Amino acid sequence: MKASRARLFKEYKEVQREKTADPDIQLVCDDSNIFKWTALIKGPSETPYEGGVFQLAFAVPEQYPLQPPQVRFLTKIFHPNVHFKTGEICLDILKNAWSPAWTLQSVCRAIIALMAHPEPDSPLNCDSGNLLRSGDMRGFQSMARMYTRLAAMPKKG
Amino acid sequence: MQKQDGAVADREKESAVSIPISEVDDWANFADDDIMQQQSAIHAEEAKKIPFVGDKEPLSMLAAEYESGSPILLEKIKVLDQQYAAIRRTRGDGNCFFRSFMFSYLEHILESQDRAEVDRIKGNVEECRKTLQSLGHTDFTFEDFFSLFLEQLECVLQGNEDSISQDELILRSRDQSISDYGEWFGWLVVMFFRFVTSGEIRKRSEFFEPFILGLTNATVEQFCKSSVEPMGEESDHVHITALSDALGVPIRVVYLDRSSCDIGGVSVNHHDFLPTSGDKSNAKGGSTVPVKPFITLLYRPGHYDILYPK
Repeated sequence: MKASRARLFKEYKEVQREKTADPDIQLVCDDSNIFKWTALIKGPSETPYEGGVFQLAFAVPEQYPLQPPQVRFLTKIFHPNVHFKTGEICLDILKNAWSPAWTLQSVCRAIIALMAHPEPDSPLNCDSGNLLRSGDMRGFQSMARMYTRLAAMPKKG
Repeated sequence: MQKQDGAVADREKESAVSIPISEVDDWANFADDDIMQQQSAIHAEEAKKIPFVGDKEPLSMLAAEYESGSPILLEKIKVLDQQYAAIRRTRGDGNCFFRSFMFSYLEHILESQDRAEVDRIKGNVEECRKTLQSLGHTDFTFEDFFSLFLEQLECVLQGNEDSISQDELILRSRDQSISDYGEWFGWLVVMFFRFVTSGEIRKRSEFFEPFILGLTNATVEQFCKSSVEPMGEESDHVHITALSDALGVPIRVVYLDRSSCDIGGVSVNHHDFLPTSGDKSNAKGGSTVPVKPFITLLYRPGHYDILYPK
């Protein structure tokens, strides 16, 4: 659809202009395909993801912005609402609560918010959800922190 | 976890082969995307049954639906039959209020050729644009939807290069038009109304807050994000009030429900949503808000259709 391309192009220009506005998000469009994007987001502070940089992959449908982009984590992450193997994200705005009022940039912000505020009652990662639901904050945080170190931090040495 | 679920499911499968519900056992293996795809497949299936906007039908067709149903409803339909000539159904996909409003409004302009009304609503649309900007929306997130609606206003006025007939309006409203946005027309216009509604609610959040608290536990902001802006979220009196106020268009809603009647006769309740004139920005330019609703919708619990007065 022509409209989705036009809209994505506007988002692209906005991202270029506002590059410094949100230092926690670095959104990049594929050189040859405006329907493919990747983002690097910083793990929010005071969470087990702090210090990590997580890569997201966006696949934008032709019906965008009437339909949501498909987003998944490329970086391994231990989080109740992210599938441990596929990186699929359980977030209402990416499913039935989507509206064209969202942009790729604001979706990134929503994902950062989800990292800071997991919803253990609708888990895609049951192990992670169960730790939180049973109140084992220490267990959850140490697992999440371990995977942040293993997968989301530059290797030292 | 998944393995365990799978084992339990397998046993259930064996014990209840003939019951289709046993297919549910595979749920553990379904990813959200699969569920969404299945959902949209079901929607597409339903879509074939009822067009987004149907043909005009006599009210006897409505009565036929309730033939073996509640006598109160049949009595009420008789009363309606005296006042209303026809009904036009819309698809029950959660967007029925907005789609009914869209068709009804554009059809009214097409028939009345009321240029003054078009100029008036354009002023309101401009105010809505400013509202969204002041609420922090980036222009590109809503401008396409706004310009499409403004284009349609020109199209239903005759004498323009791109004027359209009623047949074309019906085709467009059914997403069957062979224009640029053909298959998405209705979705785009519905989205315009959703933006306008959300903007109005948030602009006057103090006014709407108590009504929203009565419906859900959400804040005004959450309500708009979860129940106004997303496609397919059903409309309530909050949405209707906000849209009517924002665009300055009065709406009559006729209620066809089982609520019992006073002794001595059946009557059908209706409520007129009349735009508030308290908003000074609407009064700018000296335009007055019309008082008698030219849009009449029939509400049956959970659904809106269009009614045509005699």
